Amino acid sequence: MQQALGLSGNTAIMFAITVALGVAGILALAMALFWPRRWRLRYRMEVGFVLLLLGLVIYADLDSGRIYQAYEANLPEPVALSGAKGFDAKRVGFDRQVRVYAFQWGFIFFDEQGKASRNAVKVAPGEKVLFNIMSNDVIHGLNIPAARMTTELDPGAVRSIWIRAPDAPGKYLIQCLNYCGLGHAQMKAWLVVEGAAHRQTRAQQHG
Amino acid sequence: MTGTTTARLEEIRGPHWKPEDLLGRLTLGELLFSNDYRAIALKTILTSLVMLALGGLFALTFRTELALPDIQFLGARPYLGLLTVHGMIMVFGFLIPIVIAICYYMLPGSLKTGRLHWPGTAQASYWLLGAAALLLIIGRPDFTWTVYAPMSLRVGGELVWMGYVAVVLVGVSEFLAGAVLLRNVLAWKGRWGEMPLMGWGMLSEAALLLISTPLLTLVGLFLLSDWLGATALFDPARGGSTTTFLWMFWFYGHPAVYLPLVPAIAILYTLLPRFLGRPMWSYASGVVAFLLLLVLSFVVFHHHFQPDVTKHSWVQRAFQILTLFIFIPSTLHVFNWIASLWQDRIPASARAALPFKFMMGSIFFLILGGVTGYLNAQISVDSDFIHNTYWIPAHFHAMFLGFVGQMAMAGIYYLYPYFTGRLYDERLGNAHFWLWQLGIFAKVMLMYALGYAYFPRWVVDYLPLAEWTTAQLWLTVAAYAIGLGFILFIVNLAVSARRGARAPDDPWAVSDVEADFGKAAAPAK
Repeated sequence: MQQALGLSGNTAIMFAITVALGVAGILALAMALFWPRRWRLRYRMEVGFVLLLLGLVIYADLDSGRIYQAYEANLPEPVALSGAKGFDAKRVGFDRQVRVYAFQWGFIFFDEQGKASRNAVKVAPGEKVLFNIMSNDVIHGLNIPAARMTTELDPGAVRSIWIRAPDAPGKYLIQCLNYCGLGHAQMKAWLVVEGAAHRQTRAQQHG
Repeated sequence: MTGTTTARLEEIRGPHWKPEDLLGRLTLGELLFSNDYRAIALKTILTSLVMLALGGLFALTFRTELALPDIQFLGARPYLGLLTVHGMIMVFGFLIPIVIAICYYMLPGSLKTGRLHWPGTAQASYWLLGAAALLLIIGRPDFTWTVYAPMSLRVGGELVWMGYVAVVLVGVSEFLAGAVLLRNVLAWKGRWGEMPLMGWGMLSEAALLLISTPLLTLVGLFLLSDWLGATALFDPARGGSTTTFLWMFWFYGHPAVYLPLVPAIAILYTLLPRFLGRPMWSYASGVVAFLLLLVLSFVVFHHHFQPDVTKHSWVQRAFQILTLFIFIPSTLHVFNWIASLWQDRIPASARAALPFKFMMGSIFFLILGGVTGYLNAQISVDSDFIHNTYWIPAHFHAMFLGFVGQMAMAGIYYLYPYFTGRLYDERLGNAHFWLWQLGIFAKVMLMYALGYAYFPRWVVDYLPLAEWTTAQLWLTVAAYAIGLGFILFIVNLAVSARRGARAPDDPWAVSDVEADFGKAAAPAK
C-alpha cells in the first residue's frame, strides 16, 4: 500500500542507523567492561566520530526535509516546511476532500456536499483523500495508523493533511493523539473503506 | 607530572568524608532546619525518595488498570489525576531535586569549598517545593504535567487553582536552586580550566535553571489569571493564543528535561574516576559537551509540537537540525565514559561496588533511550508513529528512570556509608539492581513496541488489539518488578543503617590498580 509520506524505505534506513548506533554503543560499553584487552583511545577518534555524527545529522535533516516537502507539494497552503512554495497545483488531484471538526471529544466529518457524519468517514480503497481539520476548543491530535499519518491541531487554525486510503476494505482506526481532557481515550473515529474499485483520480480524468 | 594532572588526581577523591552516623546524630529539628550542607542534601534526598514512593505507587495503580483493556476499577477522572500527579511528582519532586541534592552533597568536596553558600536560599527552594507537592496531591488536577492550555483552563473541579499555584511554586523553587548552584560554582578558587567536571555540570545546570524557570513561573501565573477570567492569554476562544502558551511553556519545558539529566551526568563524571582510580579520558571533551548541551537545550523546544503550519518554514527546519545536533554533546559524554573505562584495567573494587554497577546500567539506558532521538527529531518520521504515541514515554522513561533514576541510586548507595557510617547489604542491593535492569529494559522496549503500533499516550481505556493487549499486560508486570526493586532498596537502607557492617575509613578505596594514574592517585607521598 502506498503511503502519503512515502516513508517505508526511509524509515528502514533511519531505523538501521539508529539500531546500528545503539548496538555499537552498547557493544563498546560491554567490551570496555568485559573484554580483557585495554585500549587507550586517541582524541582523534572522538573527532572522527563527531564528524560521522555530523554527517548523519545533515543526512537526516535533508532526508526528512525532502520527504516532508514532497508530501506538502500536494497540500493547499498553509504548509509547514515548504513555505509558500509548497502548493503544486498540477500534482494535486484529490479523489475526496473531507472537512473535519475535532472537538471535546470526537470528530465530525463533512463530505463535499456538506453532509455530516459523526465519528466515521467513508472512503473508497486506495483513494487520495484530503482532510481539512479544525478544532475550536483545545489542542487535539489526529492519527490514522493505517495511513501512517499523525498531526497536532491547534484551535483556531485549519490544518490540512492528506492520505492514501488503504487498499483493503474495512474499518480503520482514527484517534486523537494529544491529551485533550477527560474524554481523550474515547476520542476515536473510523476510516471506513468501502467499495471494490479504486476511483480514477481527478487528475487523470482531466487529462 | 604537570600541574593539571595533579589537579585531576586530587579531584578524584574530592567527594569524600569520614564515614559516620550523620543521620542518626542529627535530631529531627537539625535535619529540617540546619544550614549544614549535608543536612540540607540529606533532607532533600529523603524527601525525594518519599516522592519517588508516591509517584511509583500512583504509577502502579494506573498501570494495574492498564493491564487489561476496558475500565476495571479506575475511571477517567481518577486515572488522569494519578497520571498527572505521577508525572509532576516524578519530574519536579523526585528527578530534579534528588540529583541536585546529591550534587549539593558532593559540590563542596569537589570544588574544595567545604561549605554550601547561600544555604537559606536552598532551604527556601526546598520548602517551596514541598508546598507545591502538597498542593498537587490535594488538588490532583487532571491536566497532565504539560498543562496544555486551553485544555488546562477547562478542566473541572474547585481545586484546580492548586495545580496552577503549584506550577508557580515549582518555578520559583527551581530558580532559587539555580541561584544556589551558581553562587557555589563561583566560589571555585582555582583556574577555570581546572575546575572539576562537577563544577562545569553545575554551572550548566545553574544557567538552565535561571534562564528557563522564569517562563514556568509566568505560565503558572497566566494560567491562574486566565482561569480567574482576568486575562485571556492562552485561550483562542477569548482572543488568546495557543502558540503563546506552547512557546512559553516549552521554552521552559525543553531545558526542563535536561534539568535532571545534567546533574546526573555530573555525578557520573565525579564517581567514575573515584571508582576507577584514574581521571576521565578527556577533561576538555566533558567541558565542551556540557557547554554545547547547555546552548542547544534552549533552541530545540519546537520539536515538541512540530511541524507548525503557522510558522515560517525556516523556523521548522532550524529547530529540526538543532534538535538533531543534541546527538553530538550527548554522544561526547558517552564516548568519554566508555573511553575512560576502556583505557585501563577496571579495579575489582569497582566491579564489586553497587554504585558502579548502577552507573553502568545508567550508561546502557542513556544509549537505549538516546539513540532514538535521531528518529524523533525528524519531522517526517515524527509525523508517522512517534508524535505522542507510547514511543515518546519509552524514550523519556529510558532517560529519566533508566539513566537519571539509576544515577540517583548510584549516588545514594555511594553516599550511604558517609551518612550512616555503615555499609548497605550486598545481596539486597544486587537484587534491587537486577530487578531494575530487567524491569526497566522490559518497560522501555515494550513501550517502544507499543509506540510503533500507534498506542496513544494518556489513555485510560484502549481497544483490544492483539498488538496492544499483550504488551500492556507485560508492561504492568515490568512495572511491578521495578516496584519490588524499590521496596528492596528502601528495606536495605532502613535495615543496614542499624545492622550493616561498619564502613571502613574509605569505603570506596580502589584495589589492585596497576595503572600509573591509579598509583599516583593513592595517598602515597
